[in-house]
Amino acid sequence: MSQMTADQYRAHLERTRRHPALAADNIHLPAGSGTKLSALCFGVALAGLALTLLGAVVVNVKHALAAYQVGVMSVLAIALGSLFMIMIFNLVNAGWHGTVKRQWEHLFSMLPLCVLLVFPVLAIEVIRAVVAGDSGRDGFLLFEWLNPAISGTFLIEHKAGFLNAPFWLLRFVLYAAIWIFLAQRLYSLSKQQDLTGDRWLSQKARFMSGWGTLVLALTSSFAAFDWMMSMDYRFFSTMWGVYYFAASAGASVATLVIVLAILRGMGRLTGAVTDEHFRDLGKFLFAFSVFWAYIGFSQYFLIWYANIPEETAYYLRRMTGGWEALSFFLIAGHFVVPFVLLLFKPVKHSTLGLALVAGWLLVMHVLDMFWIIRPMVYVQDWASLNPGPTGWWVDVAAIVGVFALFAGVLIRKIASGPLVAANDPYLHESLKHKNYVG
Amino acid sequence: MSAINPDEQTAQQLAGLRPGAADRSKHADLGDGTLVEAPGERAPLVLNDRSAHDVTEIVCGYAENTPPKWWLPAFLIAASSTGLLGVGVLYLIITGVGVWGLNNQVNWAWDITNFVFWIGIGHAGTLISAILCLLKQKWRTAVNRSAEAMTIFAVTCAGIFPAIHVGRIWFIWFVFPIPNYNYIWPNFQSPLLWDVFAVSTYATVSGLFWYMGMIPDFATMRDRAILRLNASASAGEKKKLPDILRAYIFTLLAQGWRMSSRHWHRYEMAYLLLAGLATPLVLSVHSIVSFDFATSVVPGWHTTIFPPYFVAGAIFGGFAMVLLLLIPIRELYANFKDFLTLRHLENMSKILLATGMMVGFAYAMEFFIAWYGGNEYEWYVFINNRANPAMAPYWWAYWAMITCNVLSPQVFWFKKMRTNPLVIWLVALFVTIGMWFERFVIIVTSLHRAWLPATWHMFWPTWVDIGIFVGSIGLFLTLFLLFLRFVPVFPIAELKAVLPEADPHRGHGDHDEPGADVHGGGHGELSAPKGAH
Amino acid sequence: MSIVSGIADYFPFVVRKPPARFRTEDDRPVHGIMAEYDSAADVYHAAEQVRDAGYTKWDVYTPYPIHGMEHAMGVKRTFLPLVVAGGGFTGVGLGFLMQWWISGVDYPLMKQGKPYAAWEPFVMVSFELGILFAAFTALFGMLALNGLPRWHHPLMLKERFLRASDDRFIIVIEAEDKKFDPDATVKLLEDAGSSRVDLVEDE
Repeated sequence: MSQMTADQYRAHLERTRRHPALAADNIHLPAGSGTKLSALCFGVALAGLALTLLGAVVVNVKHALAAYQVGVMSVLAIALGSLFMIMIFNLVNAGWHGTVKRQWEHLFSMLPLCVLLVFPVLAIEVIRAVVAGDSGRDGFLLFEWLNPAISGTFLIEHKAGFLNAPFWLLRFVLYAAIWIFLAQRLYSLSKQQDLTGDRWLSQKARFMSGWGTLVLALTSSFAAFDWMMSMDYRFFSTMWGVYYFAASAGASVATLVIVLAILRGMGRLTGAVTDEHFRDLGKFLFAFSVFWAYIGFSQYFLIWYANIPEETAYYLRRMTGGWEALSFFLIAGHFVVPFVLLLFKPVKHSTLGLALVAGWLLVMHVLDMFWIIRPMVYVQDWASLNPGPTGWWVDVAAIVGVFALFAGVLIRKIASGPLVAANDPYLHESLKHKNYVG
Repeated sequence: MSAINPDEQTAQQLAGLRPGAADRSKHADLGDGTLVEAPGERAPLVLNDRSAHDVTEIVCGYAENTPPKWWLPAFLIAASSTGLLGVGVLYLIITGVGVWGLNNQVNWAWDITNFVFWIGIGHAGTLISAILCLLKQKWRTAVNRSAEAMTIFAVTCAGIFPAIHVGRIWFIWFVFPIPNYNYIWPNFQSPLLWDVFAVSTYATVSGLFWYMGMIPDFATMRDRAILRLNASASAGEKKKLPDILRAYIFTLLAQGWRMSSRHWHRYEMAYLLLAGLATPLVLSVHSIVSFDFATSVVPGWHTTIFPPYFVAGAIFGGFAMVLLLLIPIRELYANFKDFLTLRHLENMSKILLATGMMVGFAYAMEFFIAWYGGNEYEWYVFINNRANPAMAPYWWAYWAMITCNVLSPQVFWFKKMRTNPLVIWLVALFVTIGMWFERFVIIVTSLHRAWLPATWHMFWPTWVDIGIFVGSIGLFLTLFLLFLRFVPVFPIAELKAVLPEADPHRGHGDHDEPGADVHGGGHGELSAPKGAH
Repeated sequence: MSIVSGIADYFPFVVRKPPARFRTEDDRPVHGIMAEYDSAADVYHAAEQVRDAGYTKWDVYTPYPIHGMEHAMGVKRTFLPLVVAGGGFTGVGLGFLMQWWISGVDYPLMKQGKPYAAWEPFVMVSFELGILFAAFTALFGMLALNGLPRWHHPLMLKERFLRASDDRFIIVIEAEDKKFDPDATVKLLEDAGSSRVDLVEDE
């Protein structure tokens, strides 16, 4: 169903490809670039993860595992958010994102790594639960409900149909399979288009994105239940999946901005990714920061107002014992500061300015995950095990380690091919993208 | 040219005498020429090669010419059913809220159901105008004016219900923070008070937004009226009263707008800002409506996903209402299809599908967490008050909601279905019914059985309940028919701006705009970038 | 600029219009010269030429906003967003202050054991009032900066000018402009591709 014949389209594609911004040296990194940097990243990752391991020995396993989980859930959010963004753009036939699309694809093609990073947590927890049996200290698990020692309690009994190790692992396999399939398929369709210029591949991607979005919404929500909410098996919130989605979408845009800013700093993508694209990415950052605040506030507010004990405990833990400082810092840092900064056009228009805001938001994203996971660790009878501030180095090591690993693989991916999906059918629109009003 | 009968150009095109029609016959699979699926191509937003002048003639024609034959009967029917609203409300105020089917157990029923139903319908108008504007979706021009009008009218209907449900309506001013001799203030911790602020802000801002969009179109109507008056004066004829009235009224409303580019610059900025303000406003209004329920501890009401779920539902129901109204009008008014194409209908069907899935997602989450949370009362509401036909007296309402809202939009997975106006209209009808049932399910099924079985009570509507609801539909339709009759139903200036000829760089390459390249005009002429040869 | 001439229109005792620089043969003040163009592209390029010729008191009248026209005309970005942001933050601040004073200070009522002046319930109304103030500022700020409402203008007496709201593209250079010269200005507009040039009289 088209108006153009195949020949007309090919001629149009040829014309677009002659755009000066698509010159080979503008959309390729020099051969061998990034190898040193990615090697450095792998070094840092190794050191960080080794320190985490040390933390497991020196402090305790749960402490290290929680720290690692913060890092993993943060990078997973980036990848899932990117997959979601690209599928939405496919669905609505977006045109403006043609030149930035490839980097988003790089981000979501990190999903296999992210899934791989999640696995150790599940494996270690299940093994520890099995090994521990009914004993005391070894029941000190990140996912408390795995602990056979408390299996008789009412809530555990009630939820056992959902919260049990085999089903938990099975769900992991299911999410992993779906995400990896979606990511790999969309990525390979786009790469294939690079080679063949076949525009109907975009339509295939569009069709996939229809059911893909639906499946992704369900799986990512349940993954958020499984890997974060269930750490406190008593707590429940229907908003939880939406909250994780809000965090992912923002984190994805923030990471993309940083990647693009670095590439532009290296003198690449001149004229392809312009200030106008940055401006729109800035608007997205703004929008998702506000959306995060909206979802976060709604969840907090409804629980605060209704004040039902089984829900309120979650926020009580985060509004007392020193955690309230982090809570208010998050409101300021994740919402107020970017809100005010991104109101200004010059901030959105400047590569450096927006990259700084994006970096800040990414730190806030990690802190957000930290705020979700960390206060759960030393509740109930375990307060005596809390190393207090002296245990922070484990968190830093684990988060830096996971992010360095993510960055190392990402850098290799980016360096491996063209920086722009040069045969994207909507590329001509992206190349002349402009905000006329505002 | 008359707006009722096709003009010469249209007649020629229909007869295949003009290139527009001939071109299209080559692409039978493109429907009316807009069902372009090929990646990289964009469907035309306006059909039949309409010029800016055609747009003025057609759209102003709807408001200036004699209305079609069906208009007056339709208006009379709608207006007289509004009488039911008047009678019902009067009887209610004189007698008391007991004339509704309320009882000790179910103290909110159709009143709040109708309130949430109407306010939800209002939201699609702002969504189309504001969010699609922010996302630079140009296809909004086909529907935004009528959707905004629908917003205002729906909010008008919505506002009636909370006002009359307070019982002693002469104390309604208590809800506003007005200093008084009783030395009392409203309770700012009450969700119902937030509602007052949210709904009145929403009504005001939607009104501003609607009005602002119409200022240039009022100027066009004014200028046309003045030109006609001048023409009849120079021909020595008597001035026609409608034109005199139009000249006065539209002159006042247009504020002296004279199409200045310096003005347009600020106008576009202000419009964008209003769109940026209206977007969070829409979200906040329906979130606050959801707080009416979710801040409570009533099983079935207290769940954290309510705010975004209500917003998605509102958009869902509102788009359905837009389609419900515009599909018949598209058939009844000549040339309407040039601006509201199959592509527009398809896009809106997709939005129905997407928002329907969001609502379905929320239903699923609610159900899952009702079980997962381990609160037996919550679970009881979902199973025994709603879903289980053997236990729940209102099971039919729940399943009507699921069928209409989740199942019926599934037909839109197929392109054939979402490009068939009749199918779309039927689904829109189902969705409208389903969204009403959703609010009924939330409100009545949660309330009718509380903790103590001795107090359980069913709700059945009385004639006053039904009369007021039917009357509110009548009011809505009356206002909408008046809108169709007297106001430009399309944003004239914006429609002209999406015509291919509106692009100042079309076919030229010699302007000095930094960083800009030659713009491709319509479809099929994707020109090469500057300096590429 | 337009605010001043608007005020001069309604309150001549506050601001007085300067006497007309040019008058017609039958001694009527000249408002300016109006040139018609046939398409958006034509008027866009003509506007660039008028801008480059250094005129300041002139305007382009088009049936719809033409993208990039402010660039072609050399119009600076409006400061309206700042005003609107000011309106919005004022609304939020006043809304919060009002609720805090009413619920926390003047009329504290115990409700569900919640603190009198807890910030959480105040978010909603503060937000709504912020939006309300900002929206009013946006519409009325835009009108004020445009010098509207102004129900009377010399151009509106010109019948051909009224077609700008239909499908004509019109450039008007005002006689008040320092560079205005009856012959040179007409020539500039004609050379820029105008299909018809007219004189606009003031009353």
